Amino acid sequence: MSLARRLREPSLIGGVACILLICGAAIWNLWFVDSLRETSYHRAQTTWIVLGLIGAGIIAGMDMHFFRRISGTLYQVLVLLLLVVLVFGREINNSRRWIELGPVNLQPSEFMKLAMVLVLAHWFDRRRSSSAWGLRQLLIPLAILLIPVGLINRQPDLGTSICVALIGGCMILYEGVRRQTLVGLLLLVVLGLPLAWRFGAVHTYQKARVQAWLALDEDAVMSRRTARASQAEQALWAVGSGRWVGRTTADARRSVLRHLPFLHTDFVLASWAELTGLLGSLALFICYGGALWWALSIAHRARDRFDALVAVGVAALIFWQFFINAGMVIGLLPVVGMTLPLMSYGGSSVLTVLLGCGFLLNIALRRTNR
Amino acid sequence: MARLSLGQSHDATAFSGRNKVARAAVLAGLMMLFARLLLVQAVRGERYEKFAAVERVSKVRATAARGLIMGPGGDVLARNIESHRLEVLPRRVKPERVQPVADILRSLLDMTDSEYKGLIAELRRPLPPRRSKPLVVRRGLVSTHCPYDSHRLELVGEVNYSFCRTCGRTYEQPPKRHICPVDRKKLVPSGSGDGLHCPVCAREFLDKETCPYDDTPVSRGEHILHCAMCGRTYNDEVARLRSHLHRLPEARVRTEIQREYPYRYLASHVLGYMSRVNRRDMRPFVEGGKSRFSLNDHIGRAGLERTLDAMLRGVDGEQVLVRRRGSEEETRDLEDLLEAMKPRPTVPGLSVRLTLDLELQRVAKVAMKHVHSGAVVALDPRNGKVRVMYSKPSFDPNAWSGRLTPEIKARVDASYFAPLLNKAVHPFPPASTYKIVAAAGAIEHGLASRDTRIWCPGHYEYGGRRFRCYKRQGHGEIDMVQALERSCDVYFYKLGERLGLERLEQQARRMGFGEHTGIEIRERIGRLPTKAWYDKRKVRYFPGFALSTAVGQKDVTATPLQLARVFAGLARGGHLPDVTLLETLQRSGQPIPVLGRGKGRSMGLRPGTLATLHEGLERVVAREYGTAHRHRLAGVRMAGKTGTAEAPQRARKGMPKSIRRWLKEDHAWFASWAPVEAPSLVVVVFVEHGGLGGAVAAPIAKRIMTAWFKAHPELGRPPEGDRPTYGDDTATYGPVIPPPSALRTSTLRPRDRGPP
Repeated sequence: MSLARRLREPSLIGGVACILLICGAAIWNLWFVDSLRETSYHRAQTTWIVLGLIGAGIIAGMDMHFFRRISGTLYQVLVLLLLVVLVFGREINNSRRWIELGPVNLQPSEFMKLAMVLVLAHWFDRRRSSSAWGLRQLLIPLAILLIPVGLINRQPDLGTSICVALIGGCMILYEGVRRQTLVGLLLLVVLGLPLAWRFGAVHTYQKARVQAWLALDEDAVMSRRTARASQAEQALWAVGSGRWVGRTTADARRSVLRHLPFLHTDFVLASWAELTGLLGSLALFICYGGALWWALSIAHRARDRFDALVAVGVAALIFWQFFINAGMVIGLLPVVGMTLPLMSYGGSSVLTVLLGCGFLLNIALRRTNR
Repeated sequence: MARLSLGQSHDATAFSGRNKVARAAVLAGLMMLFARLLLVQAVRGERYEKFAAVERVSKVRATAARGLIMGPGGDVLARNIESHRLEVLPRRVKPERVQPVADILRSLLDMTDSEYKGLIAELRRPLPPRRSKPLVVRRGLVSTHCPYDSHRLELVGEVNYSFCRTCGRTYEQPPKRHICPVDRKKLVPSGSGDGLHCPVCAREFLDKETCPYDDTPVSRGEHILHCAMCGRTYNDEVARLRSHLHRLPEARVRTEIQREYPYRYLASHVLGYMSRVNRRDMRPFVEGGKSRFSLNDHIGRAGLERTLDAMLRGVDGEQVLVRRRGSEEETRDLEDLLEAMKPRPTVPGLSVRLTLDLELQRVAKVAMKHVHSGAVVALDPRNGKVRVMYSKPSFDPNAWSGRLTPEIKARVDASYFAPLLNKAVHPFPPASTYKIVAAAGAIEHGLASRDTRIWCPGHYEYGGRRFRCYKRQGHGEIDMVQALERSCDVYFYKLGERLGLERLEQQARRMGFGEHTGIEIRERIGRLPTKAWYDKRKVRYFPGFALSTAVGQKDVTATPLQLARVFAGLARGGHLPDVTLLETLQRSGQPIPVLGRGKGRSMGLRPGTLATLHEGLERVVAREYGTAHRHRLAGVRMAGKTGTAEAPQRARKGMPKSIRRWLKEDHAWFASWAPVEAPSLVVVVFVEHGGLGGAVAAPIAKRIMTAWFKAHPELGRPPEGDRPTYGDDTATYGPVIPPPSALRTSTLRPRDRGPP
């Protein structure tokens, strides 16, 4: 099948259209957020998206073997960078996540997500197993996974470390794990969480967030003496006031959102939901769903194991960030620092997702016919 | 291209199976998000929109309105008024704004030069760090009510007045004839003779341009408000300041609710006063608990304000203020939200209607004009209601309830007459009024009777001491009623000797001395000494103490109110009433009954005893030799007893001569009731260091009695027939033994109520 015909394939067009629609929505939404607070995030975001699209195009045109080759080095460099960040990083909001590179702040943990996808795919591709993986065989990939997760968690950046862990976990699960190993790991997590909660591995602020989430019942909120709502509550009210078709921008301008400090990043969905209502939110979710569907279909039809794992990894990257972020904004999950792919302002985050999409495109254009 | 290198281990089917699982997981995740979105935006959207519209929700304490205290006719004795004060926040005043701020304030208020300079100096003074107390420029700004009598001001045309910036006097335009327009007194020249001055109301009149007192030019102004009660004119200072506050961001007008007592000195001891809570009041009931008060609360400190504080106070509530996004003022809608916040409702305090007869109280006040110190109590013996309770000197509860100025405090503290002390409930030696105890006790114990005759030579030798009668030459041979009539001391020395201290004490207790009267304000109960009491005090006991005690001297004390209750009991025929000040309680205008009011008790006197006492006490007024004969009433039969208590008090150093002389005088007492046939008023007058009871206290009682029977002529008329009428309270207050006048002719069997 020629490249031109593959480009005209409906699933590819649909997937790319979904991603471009999300990009457009992100810029418009950030423009509105900017109009609330006299910032200029939407311009920067446009720049990042354009850069990301160019990058994705470049990646789509490159040979996947190159990435297979550099994955190990890339991983090592990023682990080193994570160490550097811990020592020299720039501190914003009590956590060291950024490296200053001239005018821009780079967030190595974001790129770690992609590197993790590549390195795990490479590792599994090289060591093929005839059957599902057992615990002893999984020691190395788990080590590969847990070193950066631990480093990122030290920053502290719980959201990204969870995200990286989930990406790796999904890839390992996709590879196939022995049943008893799976059960054992699950048990470890189930038993480990309460212990971690009890013995100080969980920060106080994280506990507070979980407790706030459990108390998110609105009656409890309103019966407090001073009704000073938390960020999560205000976001929830904003989402709710979007109702069916959203509010006019004039109304939304006077909304709760003005006071949300993370409106342009983690809570960006609140603004979208308030502006466009249930209709717009559903549309956005469908776009994400479409992109994910496309990614999984690519994984399904990839020409080799490495490509399939990379596609699954990118799908996991998008899915978990989307699910956790959206869940947090609409009160389904406790608050974690997690960006909404493409919608949230942030160069590293946008680049990561778009470069990931570049891999998807690359694989889609070179897949086998099955 | 198609480099099919899915390794041998790569199980394509396994991968595709997991791919399906992954798609299912993605789908499930999306469905969860959808469901939640539907709940948040479609189902609860309306509710969340309401919440989102709220910028701030605050709960504010809503202070309950304190209940009013009223007279029986509904005249308000204690009420709540708004009090306004002008404050400047010194921290906000920049150095270059000091002069303009002071100038603007001077143009809005009548401010003397010294006030103006003081304000500038105060604003220029460097501020201590971390303190930003507002500087109060003026308290009691005039707004809608007259600051003198709290009468509502009315708008009149413009009335010219002059104001002297040096002495602070305000001058009105002189009237055509030189007569004060308010109290019709002839005006006298003032100062250098240019102005006119009213000697009664101290009002100043001037039509010149210079102040007659200090010859400085006066400034002219116009008043637009007029008080119909006192005729003074004002400007609405609050409104005027408020309309200029935009020019004065450094200043503000603060309004607070203040307790006000329109009758000022009239019944201040009954009403009491309020002041801000202190650290002790703030202490919670339970350790670590919540205080009942907040820092700015006020609490009743004396009188009814103190004892009825909980009742008058009500229950403070909470108000929920909701500030909506985009609107400036705090609104109170959003019922849904309010429902969720559950604001506590405010329960206003109960209002109290007193039994005091304000007219009679005023008569008592006027009647006491010429004495330094003393108290008057008048009771209605039919039901124990207090009609008059006046203690001299009085004080202005307004001065104590607002911010007490050091001058007033110093004046009250320096007074020798204890203005804050309610002498109506303070114990003093009862002197001869106490002789009724010895008389009753002697008869009840069978030691004497009405006709027991005793020779009074003017003194009585007992235990090596000579106990003197006040009448040196003696009364001769007299019986008991004569002894009461003439207040013979020797007669009662002998009765006291026969009775002894213990039986005297028992009898006094049975008759109502030494116990609480049931009144709603805090009272002292006096002292009835016994041998045990003297032993405890390590005082050497002599049997002669009984003699002194029998005539109400030595250590026995009683309050005027107790005496009034005892006399009311005698007047009623031997049944003590429970004394009360409360007519009714009111909740939002609706009367509610006063619960827990006692019905009084019997004095345990036999009718014969009562008859003797009645006869003796009536003779005090009715007979020529009676000690109060000069002060009998015209047309109304009165019974009473005078008393003159030796009250030696040592003068302290530094006391003026007049006070030293005053301290040497005796306490004057007079306790009485009238009419004898159907008693309707008991009056007890006590004059501290006043002199003779019959000469000083009795005329005061007479004035009160006269006023009472003038106001209620039907009560003074002798009742039809022989049987006295006792009003409707007989049923309420238990058995009433008819007075002896009725007893004499009736065949009532003597009641078996004697002492054991």
